[in-house]
Amino acid sequence: MNTFVHNIFAISKNTFKETIRNKILYGILIFALAYMLFTLFLGTISLGEDLHVIRSLGLAGIYLFGVIITVFLGSSLIYKEIERKTLYFVLSKPVSHAHLVLGKFFGLLASVSVSTAGMAVIYLIAVAFKGGGFDALALLAILYQLLEMALLIALTIFFSTFSQPLMSTLYAVLVVYIGHSLDLLVNAVANGSTTMRYVVRGIYYTLPNLAKFDIRNLVIYDAHIALTQTLLVIAYAFVYAAALLYMAVFLFAKREL
Amino acid sequence: MRNLTKSFGAYKAVDHISLTIKKGSIFGFLGPNGAGKTTTMKMLVGLAHVTKGTVRIEGKDPAEHATRERIGFMPESPYFYDHLTGHEFLAFCGDLFHTKRNTDNDYLDILKKVGIFEARNYMIKNYSKGMKQRLAFAQALVNDPDYIFLDEPLDGLDPIGRRELKKIITSLNREGATIFFNSHILFDTEELCDEIGILHRGALLYAGPIRDFTKGRSLEERFVASIEQLS
Repeated sequence: MNTFVHNIFAISKNTFKETIRNKILYGILIFALAYMLFTLFLGTISLGEDLHVIRSLGLAGIYLFGVIITVFLGSSLIYKEIERKTLYFVLSKPVSHAHLVLGKFFGLLASVSVSTAGMAVIYLIAVAFKGGGFDALALLAILYQLLEMALLIALTIFFSTFSQPLMSTLYAVLVVYIGHSLDLLVNAVANGSTTMRYVVRGIYYTLPNLAKFDIRNLVIYDAHIALTQTLLVIAYAFVYAAALLYMAVFLFAKREL
Repeated sequence: MRNLTKSFGAYKAVDHISLTIKKGSIFGFLGPNGAGKTTTMKMLVGLAHVTKGTVRIEGKDPAEHATRERIGFMPESPYFYDHLTGHEFLAFCGDLFHTKRNTDNDYLDILKKVGIFEARNYMIKNYSKGMKQRLAFAQALVNDPDYIFLDEPLDGLDPIGRRELKKIITSLNREGATIFFNSHILFDTEELCDEIGILHRGALLYAGPIRDFTKGRSLEERFVASIEQLS
């Protein structure tokens, strides 16, 4: 293994251990479990639509709790290292800023993936229990969700190189909200002034279009999802996350420690 | 280091320091709080950007990975990853070096050496201040370094802990390591060092053998007199 990969692997392993042992993560996961059980209850009182309700609310729940975990853990990831000076241990060794940022990224992505997988297992059991069989399409929706989480982790890491955790959380939540409403935003100003349309176009092309990662409704109605669409979404997440991480490394290296 | 300078805006934290440390020596870097000792050390190990001047370790830039392979650094008042055990933390630090590959037994030996072997499987968040200090010292040794930089290594340790760490520092030096440390515990510095450097308001007041500075008086007495003269 070369130095670059070796260092990133070592830092991501450490980040994974640090985040997966965080008690707050378990708190969120307990809420997620309670929510899943609640969807089962809602299913039973939905007059024959129980499977539809469980699939719809279940996938939404996995997404919601995934976002909470990502934003919560991601927004303090680099900032905490700087504030608490734990990075002195790391950066005084043959490790670059890029190794640290990428290691943190992959470590948190691993934690978020494990947490999401845990929630997905409960979801699949609930759907099978209600007679829906193995919901393979839901796994595709979860894969899309993980791509969005990867992008969000890169985003929160980027924010946490220059702002405090509370502000990073706020920025990330705003980006999630706006990122899922970009098409609505463009439509809303379609008949507005030219300046307004340019401003919204600027926002449209700058912020991540997170609606691309939301195929939950298509999955619930068993719609076909083309392979090319999936590949494009993967490429979009990869390019956007890579650009954010590149900027994060640049800003982080400029910072006075 | 040559003409080493660090500015934060108009404020000069370190002001044109030139100093050569002899290979195989123990060098004590002294100064009152805020003198610029930690900033200097951070530049020496490549953690802080140098405003002006140069730092070379055997002719090489400390920011180069090849140089860092041979450096051990212990930061002041260290913070840790709370959810790791002492053993895991040490293994993590060791993993970041490439020329020396440690086995698990190597890590256990280091933990024994610094006296926290019994606590190796406890989460670091449960460690006392002294234990954290020992762990920070341990991680500076994982690569068997030739150059060891210690920022206030004896801070927060009880007298027994201080004696043990001083013994280790002396034995590392006997094995050939060059040791550079910041301290404000002058008694220990006097006991350990071959040479000292005294920093005040970012400027180097004295650098050389400890005997030439103390001239038969105690280090503390001479140090306080020198600083008071300038204040």
